[in-house]
Amino acid sequence: MSVSNDILVIESLTKAYGEKVVLQDFNLSIEKGSFFGLLGPNGAGKSTLIHCVTGIGKITSGRILVAGHDVETDYQAARRQIGLSPQEFNVDIFATPLQLLDFIGGYYGMTAALRKERAEELVTQFELTDHAHKQFRELSGGLKRRVTLARALMHKPPLLILDEPTAGVDVEQRRSLWKYFRELNQAGTTIILTSHYLEEIEQLCSEVAVINKGQLVVRESISDFTKEGSVEEKYLRLTEGTTF
Amino acid sequence: MIRREVMRTFRVVVQTLMAPVISATLYIFIFGVVIGGTIDTIVGKPYITFVFPGILMLSVINAAFSSSSSSFYFARFTRSVEELLVAPLSYLEIIIGYMLGAITRSIIVAVLIVIVGVLFGAVTLEHPLLFLFYIMAVSGIFSLLGLLVGLWAKNFEQLSVLNTFLITPLTYLGGIFYSVTMLPSTAAFITHINPFFYFVDGIRYSMIGVSESNMVVGITVITGLILVLGGLVFYLFKIGWRIRV
Repeated sequence: MSVSNDILVIESLTKAYGEKVVLQDFNLSIEKGSFFGLLGPNGAGKSTLIHCVTGIGKITSGRILVAGHDVETDYQAARRQIGLSPQEFNVDIFATPLQLLDFIGGYYGMTAALRKERAEELVTQFELTDHAHKQFRELSGGLKRRVTLARALMHKPPLLILDEPTAGVDVEQRRSLWKYFRELNQAGTTIILTSHYLEEIEQLCSEVAVINKGQLVVRESISDFTKEGSVEEKYLRLTEGTTF
Repeated sequence: MIRREVMRTFRVVVQTLMAPVISATLYIFIFGVVIGGTIDTIVGKPYITFVFPGILMLSVINAAFSSSSSSFYFARFTRSVEELLVAPLSYLEIIIGYMLGAITRSIIVAVLIVIVGVLFGAVTLEHPLLFLFYIMAVSGIFSLLGLLVGLWAKNFEQLSVLNTFLITPLTYLGGIFYSVTMLPSTAAFITHINPFFYFVDGIRYSMIGVSESNMVVGITVITGLILVLGGLVFYLFKIGWRIRV
């Protein structure tokens, strides 16, 4: 696989918190344009991996390239490529959705006019119009999730990382988001998705990888992964015996 | 980032702007009018005019320190600092953003207190550009100190530790309410090695034209502090101390 086709390259990544090694010599590359599912039990290292890719976490050893940019030595260029919708809400809880979108647009160098236009577009897309001027802390869990999704998309990143993007979202909205994610992916955005809703992985992803205890256990196309049963069945077989 | 910090300031305007103005007004009234009314002059100036610059500096210091320390600690507490870590901002941009937010708050507080001072007849301004330099430079120093505390603190109580045990005592002992010429020689010497003395003396000189220190030493101390603190904060951001896991 040539490097130029990969939007994310992880080489010999090790991440330790003190004495505890969470990722050990981890290797993974993801092609541009793919819809990539990342599965693993709690504590497997998925969030740690995302933190290392996005800059929230420090790499112990190894290298990560995003669109050819090293996330440590060329971090600004690398981060420009990424949009992150994290599992935990990491926002200023007293800011409104419109303010949050405006600020994040500013961090990515968008002009005031572009920020306004894009924020309005996203508020409409995620049905936040009636809540755009409320403080984040006043919103329901589902609305908060939609705000963090909108925030991740503000600068139209080539690589979108979705960590439990539909947790707390109602069924209708989840289906609507799935449709939106498919459209984004078809338009060229590479998406990495982690989710405990295995149906979501099965419905959306073209490829899936399973991480367990900091190691890559398997990486297959979704059709190969589900050859002998559902995603859930295969996943449970792969992680059998894992204690929590 | 500056817009965000200013928005924060106005979100809790009673705490950020009204409280320091009320506090300064009380100081001006009690020390400047009530007590100052019984004192002839000090270093050749009315007491209220002598004491006003120090009161102003006290408020500027508190505004700058509170702004960056509370803002940055809160960002760590709510994990909203991750928004900055994921964005393509350089560490220098992040630091300057917080600094300018704190300096903006300090300037707003300073303007409001000067208005109060004018109403009390306490304000003269001999060297306006120097005045602006001291306001901005001292705000810058305490915004950087605030960032350090915001990085270091593990709970809300620790945010006030430096202010309680270092900033407030050193500020009061920096000659806000008295001339250093009133002190015995040992105390005067100790005052001259207190960097806060140069902050107060510098702004006093810019306002009333009287200095009790060597201005070159004062500006060197201020510039040195900005460079040292700025370098330290930049280094800590670069290695991700207490912000990157």
